[in-house]
Amino acid sequence: MKRLYSFLLPAAMVLFAVIAFAGDPQILLSPGPEPSTATFGSINKVFTGDWQQYGQLFTDWQGGLFSRVFLLILTIVPALFLLHFILIGAKKFSHEGSPVFFFGLFTRFIHWLAALSFSLLVITGLMVIFGKFIGGGPLVMTGRSIHLLSALVFAVTAVFMFFIWLKDMLPMPHDILWMFIMGGYLSKKKKPVPAGKFNAGQKMWFWLATVGGGVMAWSGYQLYAFDGMTDQLRLMAILHNFLGAALIAFFITHLYMSLFAIKGSLGSMITGYKPQEEVEILHSRYKM
Amino acid sequence: MARMKFLCDVERCIDCNGCVVSCKEGNQVPVGVNRRRVITINEGEPGEKSISVACMHCSDAPCIAVCPVDAIYQRDDGIVLVNKETCIGCGYCFMACPFGAPQFPSGQVFGARGAMDKCTFCAGGPEETFSDKERKMYGQNRIAEGKVPLCAAMCATKALMAGDADKVANAYRERVVKRGSGANAWGWDQAYKKK
Repeated sequence: MKRLYSFLLPAAMVLFAVIAFAGDPQILLSPGPEPSTATFGSINKVFTGDWQQYGQLFTDWQGGLFSRVFLLILTIVPALFLLHFILIGAKKFSHEGSPVFFFGLFTRFIHWLAALSFSLLVITGLMVIFGKFIGGGPLVMTGRSIHLLSALVFAVTAVFMFFIWLKDMLPMPHDILWMFIMGGYLSKKKKPVPAGKFNAGQKMWFWLATVGGGVMAWSGYQLYAFDGMTDQLRLMAILHNFLGAALIAFFITHLYMSLFAIKGSLGSMITGYKPQEEVEILHSRYKM
Repeated sequence: MARMKFLCDVERCIDCNGCVVSCKEGNQVPVGVNRRRVITINEGEPGEKSISVACMHCSDAPCIAVCPVDAIYQRDDGIVLVNKETCIGCGYCFMACPFGAPQFPSGQVFGARGAMDKCTFCAGGPEETFSDKERKMYGQNRIAEGKVPLCAAMCATKALMAGDADKVANAYRERVVKRGSGANAWGWDQAYKKK
């Protein structure tokens, strides 16, 4: 009797299996499709995505383009300004007359906090980009930590700057005119330039630093936290690099303008006052 | 000079994860880091396939191309290694890798990524061979001992092969002929095809 059962039970199981899988006979006939390019392709999709799309792009650009773009900006932009300084030179304004109040105490405080954190962001960012020339290791690793801390500080100041200056930074029709004459910086003559409290160049810098800074913070956070799919991280790295390059170009411009192009203009961000003549020429439409 | 390569036979891998465990245990890999993992597609359906993936030690490796501090290098036998003392943990190699090989231990200051960790083909690292430092930072150096990597050595179905490229390719070709079916090994075009 026992023997009969031991024969019947497996037989019943096989019968059951044949009935159960009758609708899908393939599983009984073959162990599955043979490996093919299609199978390998579907394996790829599971963990590396479509590498050829953004992976290759990121590899090509990070492997040479980005560092070259930054090198170009760090050399060509200062060279152009040096040429400008030699050929045209600094604008000098009389400090006679009643000075015009431009920047309140809080504005100046926020500006300098932003300036400090932004400078650190630029320096530590460049440390990562040109890391191989300073040997990498703990030095650049520390740079990365400082990059994160400064980004947190700058993100807060960028929000303040955005709302402090938003009204004065809205684009105006005369900004186009300012662009055409390049703000009068290409001539030595002191002719009134079409600009309100801020000129078109300052407005570009403002929008790039606040809104662009926000995008930098957003993409930087994802690169820091590795928060997202690999393809998304690749796009974020590309975005972070190109926007960073643009920011550094404008940062150098801002430095040149405040330190060299207009003699003594740095003082307005320290004392809060601009000389009357400077306002009349460079911010001719500002209502004093 | 022999060229070291990995080959995982999709027809033989049974998703036992023995390679993952042996690598993690044998190399004392940090928590949260898996140098090797097994991927399964079509799980529970006809056509289910599993494959074990670590660093493929590519020719013309993308990770080497993107590293901003030149921390990654390739030995003459094709094994790609990282110098953890130079690495800054930026993560670019992870974004460049078609196989998701670079891994990053967390738990540093502010939760920042530490130095990259990946499969070393059980060939240690840039430190002195068989030194304590090498073992602590990179794991075993079985290649210097004349052994194949742990994962391939313990693979029960011999799905995972590692070693001299020609010998591995020959063994695989014999299998394919005997089975009367198959295709080029998974990942080889991506990892080893010369452009």
